[in-house]
Amino acid sequence: MDVSIIVKIAVLAAYALVGTSVGLLFGGIGRKIIARVHNRVGPPFYQNFIDVAKLLGKKTNISHGWIFDLALLFSVSGILLTLLFLPIGGVKLMSTEGDAFLVLYLLAIPSLGFALGSGASANPNAGIGVMRALVMMLSYELPFVITMIALMIYYDTTSIATIMESQRHTWAIFIPPFILAAAVADMALQGMLMESPFDIPMAPHEIASGPMVEFGGKYLGSLMIYKAVALVVETTLFVDLFLGGGVILHGGGVVAGIVNFISWMLLTFIVFVIAILINTSFPRFRIEQAFKFYWKYEAVAAVISLVWVYYMVIS
Amino acid sequence: MLDIIFVTLVVAAIITFFVGRKTAAVIAIAASILPLLALADWAGLYGFKLFDFLHLGVETSAELSVAGATLQLGITPISWFFGIMIMSLFPAIMLFSYSFFKKNDGFYPFMLLALFATMGILLAKDMLAFFLFWEMMSWSSFLLVWRNGDRKATISYLVFSAFSAFLILFGILLLYSQFNSLLFSDLALRPNAECVVALASMAAGFAVKGVLMPFHSWAPAVYSKSDEPFVAFLAGGLSKLGYYGMFVFLFILSGAKVMDSYFGGISPSYLLAVLGALSAFIATLLAFMQDDLRKLLAYSSIGQLGYIAVGFGIGTPLAISGALFQAFNHAFFKAVLFLAAGAVAYRTGKWRISELGGVAYKMPMTFMAALFAIFTLAAIPITSGFAAKWLLYEAAIDARYIFVAPVMLIAGVGAFLYSFRILYGVFLGGNCHPDIKEAPVTMVAAMFLLVIPLLIFLVFPGKMLDMMSPALSNLGITGISHTDYVITTGLASYNTLAVIGVLLGAMIPAFLIYKGRSHRVVPFEDNYLAAEPPALHEGVSMHAANHFYKPIEDVLMPYLSHGADSFYNVIYGGLKALSNAIRRIYTGFSNDYAMYVVVFFLIIAGWLIWM
Repeated sequence: MDVSIIVKIAVLAAYALVGTSVGLLFGGIGRKIIARVHNRVGPPFYQNFIDVAKLLGKKTNISHGWIFDLALLFSVSGILLTLLFLPIGGVKLMSTEGDAFLVLYLLAIPSLGFALGSGASANPNAGIGVMRALVMMLSYELPFVITMIALMIYYDTTSIATIMESQRHTWAIFIPPFILAAAVADMALQGMLMESPFDIPMAPHEIASGPMVEFGGKYLGSLMIYKAVALVVETTLFVDLFLGGGVILHGGGVVAGIVNFISWMLLTFIVFVIAILINTSFPRFRIEQAFKFYWKYEAVAAVISLVWVYYMVIS
Repeated sequence: MLDIIFVTLVVAAIITFFVGRKTAAVIAIAASILPLLALADWAGLYGFKLFDFLHLGVETSAELSVAGATLQLGITPISWFFGIMIMSLFPAIMLFSYSFFKKNDGFYPFMLLALFATMGILLAKDMLAFFLFWEMMSWSSFLLVWRNGDRKATISYLVFSAFSAFLILFGILLLYSQFNSLLFSDLALRPNAECVVALASMAAGFAVKGVLMPFHSWAPAVYSKSDEPFVAFLAGGLSKLGYYGMFVFLFILSGAKVMDSYFGGISPSYLLAVLGALSAFIATLLAFMQDDLRKLLAYSSIGQLGYIAVGFGIGTPLAISGALFQAFNHAFFKAVLFLAAGAVAYRTGKWRISELGGVAYKMPMTFMAALFAIFTLAAIPITSGFAAKWLLYEAAIDARYIFVAPVMLIAGVGAFLYSFRILYGVFLGGNCHPDIKEAPVTMVAAMFLLVIPLLIFLVFPGKMLDMMSPALSNLGITGISHTDYVITTGLASYNTLAVIGVLLGAMIPAFLIYKGRSHRVVPFEDNYLAAEPPALHEGVSMHAANHFYKPIEDVLMPYLSHGADSFYNVIYGGLKALSNAIRRIYTGFSNDYAMYVVVFFLIIAGWLIWM
């Protein structure tokens, strides 16, 4: 086998590991922040690592058959696949082999696998949870997709890597129409991350954590990994699209790599903390309220930015 | 050779009238392989060596004399492409119906006639042959709808088919009056009013068959009230003929450019793209609210066919490739889904999603075929469905269609919703049917046969682009640059092999977690809510899949209730009132009729005197 392919595989594996760890770390810090806002002490920031290790090491694991097992297999592999098709901290990884539409659809693989598994358990709560998750998806995707199309038309490409590179001089968020678009996309991100007021699919107090209700042991552990990586994927998507992927130093080199990695981590963390702070301050929407919010106000704002960009481009 | 194939199909259709159901199915399978052999033979014309040992030497053109008129037949690259797409469905569907029907009551003869007519439409080189075969296809499929005896479905199919035939005939006659020839090759369309009206009317006529909104109203009724094998062919195969017609008249005969230049550069094909996108969007919203599985699939069909219209509307090489790819995928996955629905109904006798559930455990093979078809439908990456939709999205961005692109994308997300509705409501969820078996082996075999092409183009999306490149070069456009695995457009590229490779790599940690600790399998009823009663009251459905998307239904229904259907209902009400008024003339009293005669003669006499 060619050496460069082995190096590439090693890099991808390393980034998968880094993505998972960063996700678990952010999740832990998020729990700590929520606790401090609630005036609790909260768990230590490494609590998520302990949880995952504990769940994966459990001796008792209950499955509901082979379709149930698909949840584990597809959620972990699907979300890692999505992660590797995003540029992370200026490193393009596999992102040149696909584009933003691919990432958008790749994100559906873990969710559908997860939905299949929870559907296999015949627990109505799981069904209701998945229904809410899918309706949420339909809701937030409309404004998000419109803002993404605005970016694509402005930079005349659909590749995330190229969109990111085109922001070398000015990040998209500093261009007037995209200030609005970024605000819209950030609210869509809130729904994607399933943080309050859009934590409707999980809703622990209403439907017993919805889709997760029948999962335990290694199944729940794998879902925690899924959630951690999904956090990184979604915040990175936002950073890549609007904040130039966090790239500060251009050109190669170890120093540039480290600086860009740190700035990427910082920016995703800031985006995540904003989501967490919104989470702590709002109660939960009902599903139809969330739907109306995204398709009325968010969509109108997104359309304004799209039309604005369109006239900027054609003139 | 070509005449032998045509004659064999007709003879087979006649024989299947008189033999038993199993013999009829075998004859139908055997007869329907003949057109496929011809298509395989023609593959050599376009640089595909499928079978080297096969040299049938099927002629590429023929003349057919019917009642003094000479019909010109011949193969073109585009009809070859559509032929492969439609004809390969047929043997598998016949295999499925081998055990589907309880008795032979006219299914096979009309199906074979429909196949015969389809072949005629695809080979037609003049407008007369095209129209004759088109009518034959409409009538044989109408009889197939009629044999199930549902009044609403039959009438709506008849009315819409007649409407479509009228529009097409009108267009043909207008073109004939202008060029004084029926041959496609003699038509040299010019940007004048006649040509534009003719093309617009034909496009509308084809849109009826292609179930494009707002001409879709017949589809849900017909799809939900006919036999599944027929519906699989109707939705998968015959609906493509509408797009074939559109393609031939709007592109091959260079109509789109003619229309563009007539309207002073304002592209009327933009309207087609918008209608296609709206069709995809609205039908998707309607699809996930249906409780009848067949209606859900019908609306899904309308939505997926909308993408083809979008591709034709945008009309760039990228968009047309995407549209043809989507048409090909849709033929196969929708046929599989309708057949799977038929297999489930064959075993359970149920259509309503709220009465089904837990079928996957009893019919795992059916479930796997349906699951793969659903993945392709929902355009999950690495399936060929994704490659097709990706091309269309790229085309919309490339052409800067800022209305079409988001509408199409959100319809793609909506497809996840109804996909899950099928998966959860029918195959997973509660266990409503503890004592059913797997579908008969012929049915399972038929579904897996139809999955094969989807699997091939999953790995090699580039092969599909190769397959359509003769058609595109016939049109005078170059295909998009690609290898077997990588499609490159001006905006980005998509590498199937990379996605498959990384997915397999990412499977390793997932698999390690899975194998890390052993698990115990318990029945799926054995869950957190196991102690709750399934139904508290008789007749009250406690199924979680009943009104699955209730919250969003409540929000959307007020907007969706004023659609094309209510417009047609207004027309229907008006016509009914008019007919009622006319009916009053026939009172049933002979003295009234005598009075009509007297009045008639008085008027005549008065008119003569006045003259």
